[in-house]
Amino acid sequence: MAHLGPGKAASSKEQAGLRYPSNGKTIYHRPLNRTKTAELSQSSFAYLFSEMVSYAQRRVTGIQELEKRLNLQGHPIGLKLLDLLLTREPPRSQTRPLTIIALLHFIKINLWTHLFGRQADRLEKSSNPDTPDEYMIVDNEPLVNAYISVPREMSQLNCAAFVAGIIEGVCDGAMFPARVTAHSVGGKEEGEMWPGKTVFLVKFQPEVLEREALIGKG
Amino acid sequence: MFVTVFALIIINKAGGLIYNRTFHEGGLNKISTNDYLVLAGTFHGVHAITARLNPLHPPTNRTSTTSSTAAAAAGAGGAPGTHLTRPDPPSGLEVLETENFRMQCVTTLTGIKFLLFTDTTQANVDLAIRRVYDMYSDYVMKNPFYQLEMPVRCDMFDRKLASYIREINNR
Amino acid sequence: MVVYSFYIFDRHTECIYAKTWLPQSSSASDNNNGPTTTTTGGTLRIASADDAKLIFGTVFSLRNMVRKLGGDDDAFVSFRTAHYKLHYYETASSLRLVMLTDTATLSMRNVLHQIYINLWVEYVVKNPLSPVEHKGGAGVKNELFELGLDQFIRGLM
Repeated sequence: MAHLGPGKAASSKEQAGLRYPSNGKTIYHRPLNRTKTAELSQSSFAYLFSEMVSYAQRRVTGIQELEKRLNLQGHPIGLKLLDLLLTREPPRSQTRPLTIIALLHFIKINLWTHLFGRQADRLEKSSNPDTPDEYMIVDNEPLVNAYISVPREMSQLNCAAFVAGIIEGVCDGAMFPARVTAHSVGGKEEGEMWPGKTVFLVKFQPEVLEREALIGKG
Repeated sequence: MFVTVFALIIINKAGGLIYNRTFHEGGLNKISTNDYLVLAGTFHGVHAITARLNPLHPPTNRTSTTSSTAAAAAGAGGAPGTHLTRPDPPSGLEVLETENFRMQCVTTLTGIKFLLFTDTTQANVDLAIRRVYDMYSDYVMKNPFYQLEMPVRCDMFDRKLASYIREINNR
Repeated sequence: MVVYSFYIFDRHTECIYAKTWLPQSSSASDNNNGPTTTTTGGTLRIASADDAKLIFGTVFSLRNMVRKLGGDDDAFVSFRTAHYKLHYYETASSLRLVMLTDTATLSMRNVLHQIYINLWVEYVVKNPLSPVEHKGGAGVKNELFELGLDQFIRGLM
């Protein structure tokens, strides 16, 4: 694996085998979409997501199971995105997040910008002393829910469970095992302004907090 | 002079009422949901008849009143049946005018009818009904919980529609 | 402006008068068109008896619908499709006048009203030989009324 570094690649040009572009950018550094603004059709996505929800809805007995299925659909995407997004970082910051805060910032800024073209709206730590392991990522109007009206009898459902799955994938991939769930909070205090407001509740496993405490001491 | 929108009705391709909503009190009489259902069915039938009543048979060369198109039709006779077999686009009732209101009907290619009831001024109703169709395709058709041909119960559609119509009615 | 046809329905919902003004060139071109469309010239005339029933059904349903929505004093004036426009006028004695024109025509309410006043009342109602009920169109198809109507419509076109 001697010719993996970009510096070596120039010297081993005559050699047959894996070659790197001189600027060090591989195919993974470029989005598939070559247009300047990297636009995708929101309609196409909406139809696709609509079918994904319908698919997940088949043979499920309850809302929890449906959310679980959506979560599972998102999980592998999160795992892969973590790798991809870190690859695209400039070489010196190309390390995976090591603290909870760094991880959540990575999700709020990098992941959100990559997926939705903007940052998440807010990041909060649970103010309840009983649950120090809970963090909240707030999105005022999740893109996946742009065209979805949940029927009244399923009012606890939030289809952004899919996005929660992606977040969970990122956390798991970064060795911060967590459970992530999506909750609608529109219709309460600021409900009029953002009826689709969604909170992604990130609940880390106890060992994560333990490790965090140890790092803090060191 | 701006138009006031009284009400909207959506009828599915089988003639069933799938949506009705009043935006402006006093524009139309209040009638029961059952009456709306009957009205939708009746209108569906009438619409089909009005499409058949075209006085200019055959519908395929309906513009043949002028001599220029008559020549074109004669020219087309050289290659018979090339364009005559194509079915005519839906052409039933489009605008109904009465002394108190005006109703515009748009039939989509999928057979859904949008009926917009307005006052008798004729400003930009085409545009408004087009926007309503856009909203329908966004907030109803892209909603995974909507079942085709069934009554529309989508909060998001209700909300967007209400704010758009309010904007029109308050101009 | 082109007038395609004109119908009168009495209070028993019977069509007592129907007349069509066909665009001449259309039947002429049909004859040149070869065997594919030769029958079309004929269907127009044959269809008109059937059409009268359909038109009455349409007009009657719409009129009821409009009254339900717009109130009992509301009256339906016209409707338009992509191919033609139908104008409707109902007198106090439940005589119904219907006219089909091209789509660009503006409201024909006055025209129908004038036909009622100047032709119907003058030549049918005031005609001593005409019966009170025009069963099967009896008394409507008199020379003065037909001539007057034809002239009036051709004058508009």
